[in-house]
Amino acid sequence: MKAADLIRLTGENLLAHRLRAILTTLGIAIGIAAVIAVVAIGQGGEAVLLSEIEKLGSSRSFNISVDWMRGEAPTVDTFKLEDVAIIKELSPAVDKLAPVTSGMMIAIRRPQSQAKPVLSQLIGTTPDLTAVMNLPLASGRFFSQADVAAHSRVVVLDGALAEMLFPKGDALGKKVFIQDVPATVIGVTEKQTSQLLGAMSMNRYAFAPITFVQELLNTRVIHELDGVAVTDEAVPQAIADCIKILEKRHPGTSVHYTGMSMKEGLALIEKATGVMTLIIGAVAAIALLVGGVGVMNIMLVAVTERTREIGLLMAVGARRRDILQQFLAEAVALCLVGGFFGVLLGAGGAWAIAHFAKWPPLISVWTVLLAFGFASFVGLVFGLYPASRAASFSPAEALRYH
Amino acid sequence: MIRVEGLTKIYGHGPAAVTALNNVSLEIKTGEFVAVMGPSGSGKSTFLNVLGCLERATAGRYYLNEREVSALDEDELAGLRNQQFGFVFQTFNLLPRHNILRNVELPLIYAGTPGKERRERATALLARVGLGHRLKHKPPALSGGEQQRVAIARALINNPAVILADEPTGNLDSKTSYEIMGLFLELHAEGRTIVMVTHEPDIARYAERVLHFLDGAVVREEVSSA
Ligand SMILES: Nc1ncnc2c1ncn2[C@@H]1O[C@H](COP(=O)(O)OP(=O)(O)OP(=O)(O)O)[C@@H](O)[C@H]1O
Ligand SMILES: [Mg+2]
Repeated sequence: MKAADLIRLTGENLLAHRLRAILTTLGIAIGIAAVIAVVAIGQGGEAVLLSEIEKLGSSRSFNISVDWMRGEAPTVDTFKLEDVAIIKELSPAVDKLAPVTSGMMIAIRRPQSQAKPVLSQLIGTTPDLTAVMNLPLASGRFFSQADVAAHSRVVVLDGALAEMLFPKGDALGKKVFIQDVPATVIGVTEKQTSQLLGAMSMNRYAFAPITFVQELLNTRVIHELDGVAVTDEAVPQAIADCIKILEKRHPGTSVHYTGMSMKEGLALIEKATGVMTLIIGAVAAIALLVGGVGVMNIMLVAVTERTREIGLLMAVGARRRDILQQFLAEAVALCLVGGFFGVLLGAGGAWAIAHFAKWPPLISVWTVLLAFGFASFVGLVFGLYPASRAASFSPAEALRYH
Repeated sequence: MIRVEGLTKIYGHGPAAVTALNNVSLEIKTGEFVAVMGPSGSGKSTFLNVLGCLERATAGRYYLNEREVSALDEDELAGLRNQQFGFVFQTFNLLPRHNILRNVELPLIYAGTPGKERRERATALLARVGLGHRLKHKPPALSGGEQQRVAIARALINNPAVILADEPTGNLDSKTSYEIMGLFLELHAEGRTIVMVTHEPDIARYAERVLHFLDGAVVREEVSSA
């Protein structure tokens, strides 16, 4: 039998039982939708991670803080500005190191403006931070070490923040009030530096020299150190060096210095998406199994119902493999119908997830092909038994069947 | 054309065994129109099924055109059913989900004939049996007599040498039965060999020779008076 004839006969047979076909394929549809979701979340998560690495900065970056897990908080004596210079001098593994003093919910406004102040996250740091985080500037410049030394009242605005304060896009060179302290805008970053951070918080960032921020917030506390190691391999060494030097310089401290590399941080996120993938993967497997058994059941019913028809087909010249092929084709076609609805469902679901999690919706042609491949496979596996049963009939006995 | 020697068919084993055919030996010549009669359970259908390679005999020899059929494998038997025989059944056995054109085409699909030629031949045959105007209708929409015409068209599509009919008029009223027999006479006139099982003496009269079965054996043979 020719493939075109097989397809046409299969189509005519399935169309005769439309409702039955659609109900049977429901399980397959759910399973395939789950498969699509797994792939989309997997790929979407991976894409986010990759873009995080690019956007958050170097894969060599790391972070030194106190042990938040134990409820510790940094004090004035935890990190000193001098520590940074000393670590950079003593550790060959550390390339750059930036202290960070940050303030949350800091009101920033334009002078003489009636508009409400914008609440932002103020990050006081040194130019080294630009090596840690990827902060492409749309205009102006980042502040220099000289600005830090001079306690310069300058600020670099995040693209989103600049747009809110200066909708006309003329922020550069303007004055803003940071909690009533005037500062000059010397740079604006490109909009939205990180999708992940953007999704998790509505924060808008303003970067300023740490010396200025400490004055402004009236604090000497440095919250963390963000650094970059000389090479990817040197990251653990850099972290160890930092902790050793800090412990030596602050022997009386009660906090535990902790380091985390960018890679470890990403691994945590990866683990979370991995767990999600696993759960949905299990759902996919169960749904496909249940759906496959459903297809097998309906095919067994069809084989019994059509026993005389099978006898007739054999009487007019169908060989056993023609019968096998025909019923296998019907099982696969059923699963492909399920696969089609599953792809629609899965694509919709993946799009929704992408929309709310701000992930790129990743449904590629390959995902769709994979889904249909899965569906065909399920059809072949669960159609084999009913089809081989149909093919095993003796023509005379099948024709006698009532 | 057809020669059987000591043909025997036994269903089941041991005490439950049923002897459906018991040592049947006979010959059917090319172009002959033979009717098979006998009481229910006498083995008529079994005989026809063995002739049509729908099942194998338990013992005995079956020669089709001097070729030993029992030596053939399954696929070769399927090929014989496809090329040499046309079947007509009491219950028509049409596929209800496909239109009658597709039903008639069916044997050609398994023969691998190209679609265009298939449609042409099926259309011509349906026109010949008087259904040329209903090609797209599905079997359930047709009367019994019309369905049997479709089945005859299907039996003829591969231009078979032998027509095997198991009570072809069993489900039809007498007027329709005679119309169907008219078609059979045409096929006979074309030189086809016909073996037809029937319960009705006035249908058997259309044949040249009548074989009377009883308990799986041919007990009487008569040459039809018609
Ligand atoms: N598959 C089978 N298994 C067991 N016995 C069978 C089988 N097929 C037929 N028989 C038996 O073989 C015998 C002959 O059956 P067959 O169908 O050939 O009779 P028939 O002459 O065609 O009868 P009818 O006029 O009722 O159609 C019957 O006793 C029947 O019960
Ligand atoms: Mg019978």
